[in-house]
Amino acid sequence: MSQLERTIGAVLRAGVITSSFALAVGLVLQFIDAPGAQPLLHAGILALLATPVARVVVSIVGYVRERDWAFATLTAVVLLELLASAVAPLVFNKRL
Amino acid sequence: MPVVTPTLAAIIFAAGAVSGGFGALLGIGGGVLLVPFLNLALHLPFTVAAAISLTTVIATSSSVSAARAGKQLINMRLGMLLEVATAAGSLFGGVTAQMLAQSTVQKVFGVVTAIVAIIMLTRLQRRNVILDPDVEPGALGGRYHEEESGGTVTYRVKRLPLAMAASFVAGNMSSLLGIGGGFIKVPVLNAWCGIPVRAAAATSAFMIGVTATAGAVIYYGTGQLVPALAASAVLGVQLGSRAGMRFGQRASAMWLKLLMAAVLFVVSAVMFTRGIQ
Repeated sequence: MSQLERTIGAVLRAGVITSSFALAVGLVLQFIDAPGAQPLLHAGILALLATPVARVVVSIVGYVRERDWAFATLTAVVLLELLASAVAPLVFNKRL
Repeated sequence: MPVVTPTLAAIIFAAGAVSGGFGALLGIGGGVLLVPFLNLALHLPFTVAAAISLTTVIATSSSVSAARAGKQLINMRLGMLLEVATAAGSLFGGVTAQMLAQSTVQKVFGVVTAIVAIIMLTRLQRRNVILDPDVEPGALGGRYHEEESGGTVTYRVKRLPLAMAASFVAGNMSSLLGIGGGFIKVPVLNAWCGIPVRAAAATSAFMIGVTATAGAVIYYGTGQLVPALAASAVLGVQLGSRAGMRFGQRASAMWLKLLMAAVLFVVSAVMFTRGIQ
């Protein structure tokens, strides 16, 4: 198993555990009307959304280390597309 | 925006568990079941339903791929290359979703679900392609150990432009309809691009995390992603897909696929009818 694949597996696992935990606790807090539910739920969603992004970032670093410039560039393009999606609502926020 | 009550959260948790279970059992994402349930049965706006479903796609992709990483079944290089196309498709689809009327998206969903059902019927007997073990995998191909046969499967990737095009369409449908899009990519990668079905499915499951994220961040930014409802669905799907995978290893699922195809045709008809009303 390559180092990069191992790291990607670890990043995905950490992301799933973190987000599931935050979402579960946030949900419980919401229904017992405890404070901090909304921030925790948002944190859980952001951790969920950040996991694939972190996986892409880790891949870019891995490919750069391997001096695999073609794949470093391709994964950087994927990261740019994800960033474009993140800013798209600012441009197309007709329903806000 | 819907009012989040414990009852609604519990219903969505259960719906997530059922769709996640069937998804894992049949190797399709649960989104094609979850989205119509949220939209038609619970009367959530289509965009809200799609946003919830996309978060479950991300969670499934991350947990399944974490377990599989390093076992060679996921072709990471091919996945990263095709993600350039799926993420672009997803960005495009997510923006389109903001501009289309709900009835239009429902019609598209109806047509797409019918296609999923037809693909499912035509693939009832998956052929096991005998692959030449001496083939050179090339820059994008792969090699993995197959447990059933005990042999090593080696494959080359053919018709890359077709794989990229299918990935773009899959990404587009993913963020527009709130589904994973694997049912578009996997048959194309398997039938025309020379990739064994298990590698195609694992690579697709790996990719849909990025694909669905590109869509989900758009819904998050527009405020259409309701965190408490997404949390219920994500936790339900996690539970259901775990149960489905355990059961799926024992079940021979031909009749299940037939049942599922029938359910999808009904979903398709109902969704399409709602769209034209």
